[in-house]
Parts: sequence; C-alpha cells; structure tokens
Amino acid sequence: MDLLGKSVLDLKQLISKKEISADELFKYFHKRIINHDQKLKAFITVLNYEKNNNDGELSGIPISLKDNYSTKKIRTTASAKVLDNYIPPYNATVTQKLLDAGICLQGKTNMDAWAHGSSTETSDYGATRNPWDINRAPGGSSGGAAAAVSAYLSPAAIGSETAGSIRLPAAWSGVIGLKPTYGRVSRYGVIAMGSSFDCPGPITLTVEDAALILKVIAGHDKYDATTSPIAVDDYQTEIKKPRQHMSIGIADEYFEGLEDSLKQKISDSIKVLEKLGHKIKKISLIPPKYAISVYTILQRAEVSSNLSRYDGIRYANDRTYFGAEAKRRIMLGTYTLSYGYYDAFYKKAQKVRTLIIEDFNRAFKDVDVIVAPTTPITALKLGEFEKYPFFGEVMDILNEPAAVAGIPAISIPAGLDKNNLPVGLQIMGKHFDEKTILNLAYQFEKETDFFGVIKRGVKNYE
Amino acid sequence: MKKTELTKEEIIHLAKLAGLNLTAEEIVKYQQQFSETLDYINNLNELNTESVKPTSQTVDLSNVCFEDGEQNKRQLSINEVLTNTSSKTADNFKVNRIQ
Repeated sequence: MDLLGKSVLDLKQLISKKEISADELFKYFHKRIINHDQKLKAFITVLNYEKNNNDGELSGIPISLKDNYSTKKIRTTASAKVLDNYIPPYNATVTQKLLDAGICLQGKTNMDAWAHGSSTETSDYGATRNPWDINRAPGGSSGGAAAAVSAYLSPAAIGSETAGSIRLPAAWSGVIGLKPTYGRVSRYGVIAMGSSFDCPGPITLTVEDAALILKVIAGHDKYDATTSPIAVDDYQTEIKKPRQHMSIGIADEYFEGLEDSLKQKISDSIKVLEKLGHKIKKISLIPPKYAISVYTILQRAEVSSNLSRYDGIRYANDRTYFGAEAKRRIMLGTYTLSYGYYDAFYKKAQKVRTLIIEDFNRAFKDVDVIVAPTTPITALKLGEFEKYPFFGEVMDILNEPAAVAGIPAISIPAGLDKNNLPVGLQIMGKHFDEKTILNLAYQFEKETDFFGVIKRGVKNYE
Repeated sequence: MKKTELTKEEIIHLAKLAGLNLTAEEIVKYQQQFSETLDYINNLNELNTESVKPTSQTVDLSNVCFEDGEQNKRQLSINEVLTNTSSKTADNFKVNRIQ
C-alpha cells in the first residue's frame, strides 16, 4: 500500500477499516526513520513498536514528541548534555493524553538545547538538517519535529513554542505549525523554558490533523495552574463551518524588511483570502521590534530561574554541562533580575507587554484575525546563526508579538521563494479563538492545496 | 547612544550568582555580546509606560488553587524520586557539607 504523504486522518481510516495494523504502520515509519534520519538528524531517540491498547481519537497513529516532553522511562534530554542521562519517572500531561488517545510513540525529536534557539543548531547532539536543503537549518527550536513531518518520518509531531519555536520551523520546513493560546495546552512535564510563554502544539501535514491533535491535547489540567477552564472547542467541526465574511487585519509593521520573493508569495496569498470572500483591512500595530526586547528580557529572566534547578543533585548532570547559549541566557537573565536593574529591565518589559496585549485587543475589536508572514526570510544556511548573539530573535521578529501576548497563531505554507524554499504565512487570532484561525487556514488549504508545497516536500523523500 | 558596558568583575559576579564557571575567553565574549543585547533592548525606553500596569500573566486567570482534600494522584514515590540521582543514602539525597 502506498502510504507516502497520507494524513493522520487518512491513516486513522485505514486502521479503523483494518486495511493496515498499528504494528505495520509503525514499522513503515520506523523504516523511513532508519533510511533518512542519518542524513536529517531529526531524532534523538528512536523507539521500537509498543502496542497501545487504548482506544481513542489517535488509535495506532505513530507520533513523535519533541525531546522536552517528559516520557516515563524514556530518556528525555531537551537536547542538552545536562540531561544526557535523565529518565523521567512520569509522563507530561501532553504525553499522557496522546497515549490515552492511542498513539504509538515513535521517538523523541531534536531541538535547540533547552529550546534556546531558532535553528536547532544549538542542540548538544548536533544540528538537524532542513529536508528541503540539507545545507540549511530547518528552523527551531522544534526543528526535529518539523523536519520529521516534512520528510514524512512522522505523520505528525508535537513541538513546543515559547516565541516562534513551532511556527518558524514549520514555515522553513514547509509544513503546518500551530501555537495555541497560552494556557490552552498543559505545560506539566514539559521541560520549562519561558514559563509565561511556553505552549505545546502540533506540527502536521493538514489543517484538519492540527485540529484533531489540538482537541486531544488541549484542556484544563489541575497540575498546571496556568491552564484555562474555558471549554475546548470541537475544532474538526468548527473548521468546516462556512465562514465567508471574515475581517482580516494586515499591519504594515509586519511587512518591513522582507525578502522580495517571499513578500510576493505573501501578497499572492492575501489575494487568495480576498477571493475567498474575506475583507482585508489595514490596521496598525506596535512595531514588532519592541516585542523582541520584551521577549529577550522576560525570557532570559525566566530561563535563569527555570535552569537554576539543575544542581546535579537530584537528577541530571551538574552546571558545568551547560552549553554556550544556555550560559549566555542564564547570565543575561540573572543581570536583568538583579537588584538595581529589575525596574529598568524586567518591570519595564512587563509594562510594554501590557501595551502589546492591549494593542492586539484593540485590533481584534475591528478584525477577526491578523495575517502576516511567519518569517522575514526563508531557511538560512547552517552556521549563519552563530554569528549573532540574538539572531534567533531577529528571525522570530514576526512571531514574538503573538508569543508575548499569549494569543494563538498558525503558520501554513504559502508557496516557494526564488530559491525553491518554503514560505510561511501566519494567521493570528484572539485568545482561545483557535477555531477561527484553523477555519481560515482550512479554507486556504482547500483553495490552494498550499500550492503543492507539502506534497512536494514529502515527495523528495520517496 | 550611550553604550552599556559591563565590567569583567560584573560578569564574574553574575557567573558566581548563577552558579556557572566561565573561561577567560567566555568572560570577554559575554562582555561584548551583553553590550550589544543591552543596547538593543534599550529601545523600550522609547515607549511611555508611566501609567501602565505590568503584566503578570496573559490570559486573566486569578486565584487558582488545588481543592481542599484533593488527592495528588501524580505524586511520585520516594523510589521514583531517587531514580535519577547518583548520590543517595537510604531515602535521602546525599549532598556535600556546606562550606
């Protein structure tokens, strides 16, 4: 049976009709990992088939998890040598929910160490390669997850985003990446990076798969006090509702400094949205460069606090194992939180964060969603990142405002640039309004088939 | 604009606070990189935040508590807690004496 490129939903049907067994399906993907991953290095840990007797929404579906999700009795490193020998004694809530829904865990995917980065090059286990061009970065920090889906080593993967870590690798690797609202999906058992930002989310080949997986992993969790009690929507039903007259906001501030051929693809995509019967409305937002500063201050502060727990006593290696990027971030966070600088940096940043949230709230009074490019340029060559101390933030400039405000956003393919590299379009929505951004993404997918980007990406790995 | 520069001593002090050992090379590198980063983030001062309240969390939750008497079903056993340590004695972590 030719399974190449089949969505999670397609695979689900094959399993329920008993046309393929969970075991056979797992082996198909396992073989693909063996064949292609020496080159791509998307996986840190590859697992063998283990039968999952749970009958749920994802019965028998092979799925990979980013290596910052705790997996009981399965090594979890966050791609950091500090955690080289760490075997979690419990499952993250997301891991448990997926297992309860019937998945067969394929393995753990590579990432920037501690998720500190936008290219997956800071992994202590070596960089993941972009399936579209192995001399380029897949983006990060969920680079292993995006590469695995792009080359069809996993039919879907779970990534995590603090500011861009799902959307950027999804854009650069030519797949779909959904960052839910902060608090929509539990962070319990996810190795903490920036606790006021972190959002688990799916990376998939179709919008409906993203809707399906979000439904499985979303919801209140009493073990994560920041999860919301707001009811989870039935996203699969919601995306199919005909919604024609959406008001779509476009802000010039998000179109500065874009590479020309990328800009062209985004303009073409906006025309598609118009053709679908939606209304484009010019809006003005706070320039994203301020979100970079807010993010840099707050995230470093949260990193210095979160990574202080690694004392080498209770588990994991001691602090001499930290890599360069983690040390740099811990140091800067320690500085901005220290006596005498707290007001000037941390408190100031939290105030500007309020301005950014209010700015989005104001915009969402006039528009249903905001559309922008996901990144200013397409995938960079490996090694480009090292030259700058916070180059990742500059690559993530268009992702950081939504992360700072905690609103949901999805990155979807919008064609290829002049170098034949995938371009990502993002749709941002109101807090807890994942259904609307997914609905619009689904309409766009039906209209354009993402210009064949996803199919072409998978075909490269036949 | 005025360049923000940290002295070598400040970098060494920060490293001590953060429990990190830095090489001489790293100290010089961080001095230069911090200066670059701090100069960038100073752009926040272009925005007036005089009457703005700082954000503490983004989605308006308040007073989140565990219900009284609720069981913590995910509590780990002592054995589970000790599985990853390299230094223990009976049911305890074993650490060096504070100097």
